[in-house]
Amino acid sequence: MTTSPRDPADRTPTSNPVLRRALNWGAAIAGGIAVVGGIFGLVFAGTEGLVSALLGTLLAVVFMGITGASILLANRFAGSDVFVGAFFGIVLGGWLLKFIVFIVLVVLLRGVDWLDPVVLFLAIVAGVIGSLVVDVLVVARSRLPYASDAQLPPPPSDD
Amino acid sequence: MDATTVLAEINGNIATVGYGLAAIGPAIGVGIVVGKTIEGVARQPELAGRLQVLMWIGIAFTEALAFIGIATYFIFV
Repeated sequence: MTTSPRDPADRTPTSNPVLRRALNWGAAIAGGIAVVGGIFGLVFAGTEGLVSALLGTLLAVVFMGITGASILLANRFAGSDVFVGAFFGIVLGGWLLKFIVFIVLVVLLRGVDWLDPVVLFLAIVAGVIGSLVVDVLVVARSRLPYASDAQLPPPPSDD
Repeated sequence: MDATTVLAEINGNIATVGYGLAAIGPAIGVGIVVGKTIEGVARQPELAGRLQVLMWIGIAFTEALAFIGIATYFIFV
């Protein structure tokens, strides 16, 4: 794999391709987990199980993916004076918001009769573990240069 | 009112304590991960890209436990 030389003025962190790849693979694996979970849910709990498996997988993968997506969003501020503040504000703010939304969703979905709680829980666990496996594999296979974001001085000239 | 009487008056679902623990643990974990990343980037700004990826994988593992802990609300009655 060849990489094109980076533009020295390009201050985008080198983590972007890794995160983007992890999000894409996470979505692909989520599709697989949803299909397998949906079949098991349909077999063991009928239509409610199917809906629960699809919803559980979707919830797990979307909420696990928000962290990577928030880092990608925050990296758009790379190079600006407010980058560090904006980066941690967006990533940690997104994290907090994500958990509040997740808790509200869990409370809202608890009592509904068109969901099977056990299948939903198992689908969420499967989605979370699947997402973690994808993240680890993508990071383990990624190549990040050590001095990626360094700005070197121009080479000396002889004259 | 003695302690035994107070404890006897407490009612509710004990699983609620679990949701609190599911929030505290990852909060501390993510705090440590992000704090150490800030330290690392402050020491070596050129490694920001690498450290971001490591921070992200650390947050992913930490928040996984929180998600599973909160989702137990579906199965604990």
